[in-house]
Amino acid sequence: MSNLIKAELQKLFTTRIWWAMLIVMLLLTGLSLFFIIFFAGEPAQNGAPGLPALEDPAWLPIGLSAASSGTIFTMILGVIMMTSEYRYQTVTGTFLTTPQRGRVIAAKLGAGVVVGLLFAVVSLVVVGVVCVIAVLSAGGDIALTGNRVPQIIIGVCASLALYAMFGIGLGALIRNQIAALIGAIVWAYVIESIFAAIPALQVVGKWLPGGGSQALMSIDVDTGLGAPDLLPAWGGALLLAGYAVLFAVVANITTTKRDIT
Amino acid sequence: MSAIEIRNLSKSFGLVRAVNDVSFTVEAGSVTGYLGPNGAGKTTTLRSLLGLVTPDTGEALVNGRRYTSLTHPLTEVGAVLEATSFHPGRTARNHLRIMCSAAGLPPGRADEALETVGLADAAGKRVGGFSLGMRQRLALASALLGEPKIFILDEPANGLDPSGIQWLRGFLRHLAHERGAAVLVSSHVLSEVEQTVDNVVIIARGRLVRQGTLAELTQNGDSAVRVRTTADFRPALEAAGARVQEVEPGLLRVYGLDAEAIGQLALDHRVLITEVTQERSDLQQVFLELTEETQATVEGVR
Repeated sequence: MSNLIKAELQKLFTTRIWWAMLIVMLLLTGLSLFFIIFFAGEPAQNGAPGLPALEDPAWLPIGLSAASSGTIFTMILGVIMMTSEYRYQTVTGTFLTTPQRGRVIAAKLGAGVVVGLLFAVVSLVVVGVVCVIAVLSAGGDIALTGNRVPQIIIGVCASLALYAMFGIGLGALIRNQIAALIGAIVWAYVIESIFAAIPALQVVGKWLPGGGSQALMSIDVDTGLGAPDLLPAWGGALLLAGYAVLFAVVANITTTKRDIT
Repeated sequence: MSAIEIRNLSKSFGLVRAVNDVSFTVEAGSVTGYLGPNGAGKTTTLRSLLGLVTPDTGEALVNGRRYTSLTHPLTEVGAVLEATSFHPGRTARNHLRIMCSAAGLPPGRADEALETVGLADAAGKRVGGFSLGMRQRLALASALLGEPKIFILDEPANGLDPSGIQWLRGFLRHLAHERGAAVLVSSHVLSEVEQTVDNVVIIARGRLVRQGTLAELTQNGDSAVRVRTTADFRPALEAAGARVQEVEPGLLRVYGLDAEAIGQLALDHRVLITEVTQERSDLQQVFLELTEETQATVEGVR
């Protein structure tokens, strides 16, 4: 299996899309971090509490959680890892080399986890350095073990890895690359945000992958519409693991029986 | 046990019966040409053999086993399918290295295989810039990675220039006759494989039409006699048991009677004939006749 995962990672890293995706992820993460720094200490509208000030120990976990906006990019990479096999018909060679298709899917999911973790680590390092500089220059103290900081780090890693798996599952379900990418973006930016932002829909939203990853990190930032209704952190972790299994099964079912012509 | 064995293989796609009860074998040390017009079912047969298509009934086995049950398929079977199945942004060497990783082969095999097919100079170039002929050579290199003893090639001559085709012929013969490999190569152009193959399997409309050695097929094929006459000679010929085809007014192609019998018949019926030529039945003609016949029967049934 390690041979197959190595082959899947080689497939991704011998084409150019991965570093383009990494750069765009860092730019977008940087943008949301910029707003979290810029609006630190500002009172929010409607009388609800806003972001804590930079020197407040409660700010650091919120700053670090900016790294979680990378989920869409690992999801897109997951979609590409699966659908480019069909787009360029390399799936023929892949299945000739490994005719047990379930093992190919398992290797892709394994490689997706590795890629997700890699992206999470890069993002956390960049975001972490900026956060530490911001806090220290505002005269605050850094406590890396308290204030849910470890939980945020684990949550970002788990979310980025699992979204890569979702992408692979989605790609196996919708083999047309463009359609699958549009599906991923609509899912992450439209459907999940609607269910996460509108309190009446959070009953459903907390059961979606995005809700699970928020619960895992306990990002209960008030968006001005009231505190979000989320599962406990362990519930979020279980939910994400459940989705990963579901997507693996979907990827397997849709791929193993199909004729490759 | 045969290297390749197809047993009563049938496969439909929707209402189209792509392959219909096809059986044949390929032995080690020989090259078998799998011939038929486009859409005859060649590709479906080969893809069933490689586990890419699941047959409805029957079996397609390599070394007595299903391809999907092989643990190290690249070391047993080398396959060349369409020329397009490469990621354009990846280099030739990386393509092969990925296959080596997945198959547990040493990465050095990639450069060795590229050397064998004459692509060593292009190893570091992206496949997007490759010509069709170069892609075909790269596909062949991927088939050679695991040094297998069975080769399955679907229209490998497509896109090759004349010197490339010449090279491929020699290479396939070398694999079979000097390294003892079993080679199954499909083509819709008979002349491409005529000089390469030992055995021939002909398929048309999903059905097996004829199989045998190249020599058997050229001998057993109905040889025709060209007869030029202005008279209405056809009824007499047909009464004598011949099958007659009118090529153009005044020119007949006669099957089932030799030149002497036709001369005698002309004398008996006092018919003036201006030409009697024995047509040498080459494989191309046999191939055309066989495939056209099946085509005609199938259309007649409709």
